[in-house]
Amino acid sequence: MRPFEYIKPSTVDEATSFLSQNAEDSLIMGGGTAAVVLLHLGVVRPRYVVDLGGIGALRETTMKGSLHLGALTSIRSLERDPAIAADYNLLSEAASQVANIRVRNAASVGGAVAYGEPQTDTPVALTALDATVEIAGASGARQIPIADFYRGPYETALEQGELVVGINVPKPAANSVGCHMKFTIGSPENKPVANASALIALDPSSGKIIAARVVMGAVGGTPVVAASAAGLVGETPNDDLFADIAAQAANETDPIEDLRGPVWYKRRIAKVLVERALKCALQKSQG
Amino acid sequence: MCAAEKPRVTRLIGQSMPTLEAADKATGRVEYMGDLTVPNMTHAKIVRSPFAHARITSIDASAARALPGVVCVFTRDELLADDDMETLYGFVYRDVPVVATDKVRHEGDIVAVVVAETENIAEEAVELVDVDYEELPSVMSVDAALEDGAIHVHDDFFPIAPELRPRAGTNICHEAQISKGDIVQGFAEADFIYEDSYSAPPVQHCALDRHAVIVDYEGDEITVWTNCQSPFPLQREIKRIFNKDARVIVPYVGGGFGSKSRDRIEVVITGAAKLAKRPVRYIMTQEETFQTFIRPAYQSWIKTGVKKDGTIVARHHVFTVDVGAYAISGARSANNTLKVATGPYNIPNAVVDCYAVYTNKPPSAPYRGLPTTQHTMSYETQLDRIAKDLGIDRLELRRMNLAREGDIHLTGDWLRNAHTHECLDQVTEAIGWDKPLAPSADGKIVRGRGVASTIKYTLTPPREMSENSAEVALGEDGIFEARFGTVNMGQGSDTTMAQITGDALGVGLDLLRLVHSDTGLTPVDSSTTASRSTYHMGNALVDASDKLKEQILAAAAPMLEQSADKLTMGDEGVTVDGDPGNGLSFDEIVRRNGGPFAAMGECVVGGTWKAPDGKEYPIASTFWTFASCAAEVEVDTETGLVRLVSAAASATTGTAINPHSIETQLEGGVGQEMGPTLFEQMVWSDEGQLMNPTLMDYPLPTMQTMPHYEPRFVEHPFDGGPFGAKGMGEIGAVIVPGAVLNAVNDATGVMFHEVPLLPYKVLEALDSRAGSEA
Repeated sequence: MRPFEYIKPSTVDEATSFLSQNAEDSLIMGGGTAAVVLLHLGVVRPRYVVDLGGIGALRETTMKGSLHLGALTSIRSLERDPAIAADYNLLSEAASQVANIRVRNAASVGGAVAYGEPQTDTPVALTALDATVEIAGASGARQIPIADFYRGPYETALEQGELVVGINVPKPAANSVGCHMKFTIGSPENKPVANASALIALDPSSGKIIAARVVMGAVGGTPVVAASAAGLVGETPNDDLFADIAAQAANETDPIEDLRGPVWYKRRIAKVLVERALKCALQKSQG
Repeated sequence: MCAAEKPRVTRLIGQSMPTLEAADKATGRVEYMGDLTVPNMTHAKIVRSPFAHARITSIDASAARALPGVVCVFTRDELLADDDMETLYGFVYRDVPVVATDKVRHEGDIVAVVVAETENIAEEAVELVDVDYEELPSVMSVDAALEDGAIHVHDDFFPIAPELRPRAGTNICHEAQISKGDIVQGFAEADFIYEDSYSAPPVQHCALDRHAVIVDYEGDEITVWTNCQSPFPLQREIKRIFNKDARVIVPYVGGGFGSKSRDRIEVVITGAAKLAKRPVRYIMTQEETFQTFIRPAYQSWIKTGVKKDGTIVARHHVFTVDVGAYAISGARSANNTLKVATGPYNIPNAVVDCYAVYTNKPPSAPYRGLPTTQHTMSYETQLDRIAKDLGIDRLELRRMNLAREGDIHLTGDWLRNAHTHECLDQVTEAIGWDKPLAPSADGKIVRGRGVASTIKYTLTPPREMSENSAEVALGEDGIFEARFGTVNMGQGSDTTMAQITGDALGVGLDLLRLVHSDTGLTPVDSSTTASRSTYHMGNALVDASDKLKEQILAAAAPMLEQSADKLTMGDEGVTVDGDPGNGLSFDEIVRRNGGPFAAMGECVVGGTWKAPDGKEYPIASTFWTFASCAAEVEVDTETGLVRLVSAAASATTGTAINPHSIETQLEGGVGQEMGPTLFEQMVWSDEGQLMNPTLMDYPLPTMQTMPHYEPRFVEHPFDGGPFGAKGMGEIGAVIVPGAVLNAVNDATGVMFHEVPLLPYKVLEALDSRAGSEA
């Protein structure tokens, strides 16, 4: 690892004002689980490492109608917080599948979102939940829907010098149930071949699906929102329907071939995961 | 004399005791290489080749040398200018330049060493070394290396070991054959003949403790601290290259698995330390380990002739091993496994052909059992195919053909301690072979079971080359000190040696102090490899203890006015038989003796063995270890994922010195080999660049992937072993791929001929089977 200067601002303003001058020479660090690897492998050789860990305001989590997560909220706390597990079950389920406990303790939700790695679990669930990304920069703050935030692998809507300071997650509609599935080769803590989040809302009287959202990860440069999920709405859930929608969703993906498998295989896995996530969500809704 | 001649009292042997250093390791008190520092130490980083094969046209290190904090840069210029430094090194094949001279032969080949005041400065200076290369065509597989007109990785061959036979004008650095009976006749007698090919790609050992070395060249002798597995051969090689005495000190090692059995960095860092005139430390990065030693790629073709009733009458087994760019140990490893390629079966007519081939991959090293693992995968999966084809039960086919005590092996050896049937019975019972498999709820998860059996040899050089010695001493403090060269790399060797020495002397652990693996303090030992230490070092310690005991009793006899045969050694010292109150403590004996006692012991191996039939038989392996594994798998037919659900392994261990240690060694072997069986592999681009050089892209087994494990072992004392023990450290790994592939075949009806069982390959095979059935 090459030497760098360690900067530890204590407020967002301090951070953004430093970055307004030095963004190009800086690596922003949240929990450090990605940043340290990048430094270790020499992928980046920043002059400054800006550690956001000293900004207490970024650790605040509130639940008032919607869920507000400070950017430094740990992945582990998304998994463990009973209130999040109750109302935002899909998110805590996705969080519980990230890497291992040591990584989840260190990694932050803001970092997971800002890094833009296509394989990460939490952005997929947050996209299914229609979250909004809160951004701060020297020229001010803005909010952007997470689906618009991702531009490509490791590419986001963040302008130079901007930070992800929080995530806002609207409360899912009543009678919504979600499920997150991932598939890895070898140990479950490895990067997945694919992952998928499904969120469906059922009409309690008719039993029909009134809202549905399906998002897949690791099978495109960004989380892939399945347009075909619209085909679920108005239907009575059943295995054939789920298999059909899952097959359509898999066709919307754009995976690359790598050591985790060829393109056809990743699509197959995406299909299997979507199908399993939908079945799992239905099962949860039944009880 | 190796074996104990009279019955002994055993108090420590047979006890499941935790590793002596366990608490110190768990609390961080044990020092590994990465913890060691010496005064005035400098830090090295290595300039490595980005190409698989290239000619070095120029090296300009002037900018690196000019960087403040850089002490020196060691390149071919310094090597070639120094008349007191040999250019090539290697223990069995002298083909490795100390630092690249004209060519680089694999990605990561060592081009220069930068020595600086800090690691950071060294890292920065590495980038300032300007190397110009002329890229050359490379051969990245054995098939490519054997093609007509293939480029030659080396222009000349330099075998040191007498058994190695290169073929001039090719990339074959060693070829050999072993045979038994008449294979032509054997195949003529067969009712059915089966031919199959198998392959396994390279993997890396991924020991937790990264390779590291500190060298102090100054003073009367070169001092080398390293976490290698073979300190004595290394000491001699350094002495030869630098024409100066050397001492090699090996601290606790956090795992070797063969990756540290031969050395790649010690010699080049010694060259750098000579230039620096100060101690130099080098710690390899995890990424560099992938470029240093790997398990070789393996291919086999086996042809088996069987009678209708399942009797195997002939076997031809041909295998290639990709030794990589340097045959440091790969050629000999391949040669050694000739002895076991036909497995633990009684096959009257057999031929095995071995080819070790140079390529432009990193050099190969043994990996917990060498290619015995892949041999076992080959013959065991073919056996299941034969069983299915002939309609014979898989276990029955094995029981019909498994060798027994007194059968004559491929090598001509009279097999001893060959409790093959017992191993097989134990593992099938342990896994519940006859119990129904859990039903598949929705038909998507299918389950199956498989077994594999094997035979493993240990390193057995000619008698005159065997080196296995130890020293036991009694000091003024009344404490016995056992000095032995075995490297403690987590396998529990200190504990095993303490149990053996304690019982040989008749004293408890409180009276024992251990000194391990330091060529300045411990007598010569060839290496800590090939599951050899319990047998060889154990015997040397028994021999030394017997001699020491004799000395002490002889000295105590006049002091106690008794004859030595009326005296007994124990925790209280030496006492008179039948009169326990009458005795002398050990420190008192040393005081009255006027000085400490010490005795050297050795274990001589090789030669021939006289069987009960009165004839002499060769000893191609000092002992043979047999083992079986039973595995149960689940296959997800929607994703192709194979999960090892449960496993049982058993081996013939001779007397179990430390049963707990045996069980955990076998379990560790199973857990480790599960990786290369299911998902681990190193992948190179056509140009020779490793595609998965970090642990982010190279998946390893973790606690989360471990199967349910049922520990077993077969304990029958082995005549000649220390207290009847023999070695078993590697064999748990050897039996895994065969058992898992057979279990997958049982579950899915698809027999794989290669590992790893990557999910997409499994799904592809399931699809194509479904397609052919439709």
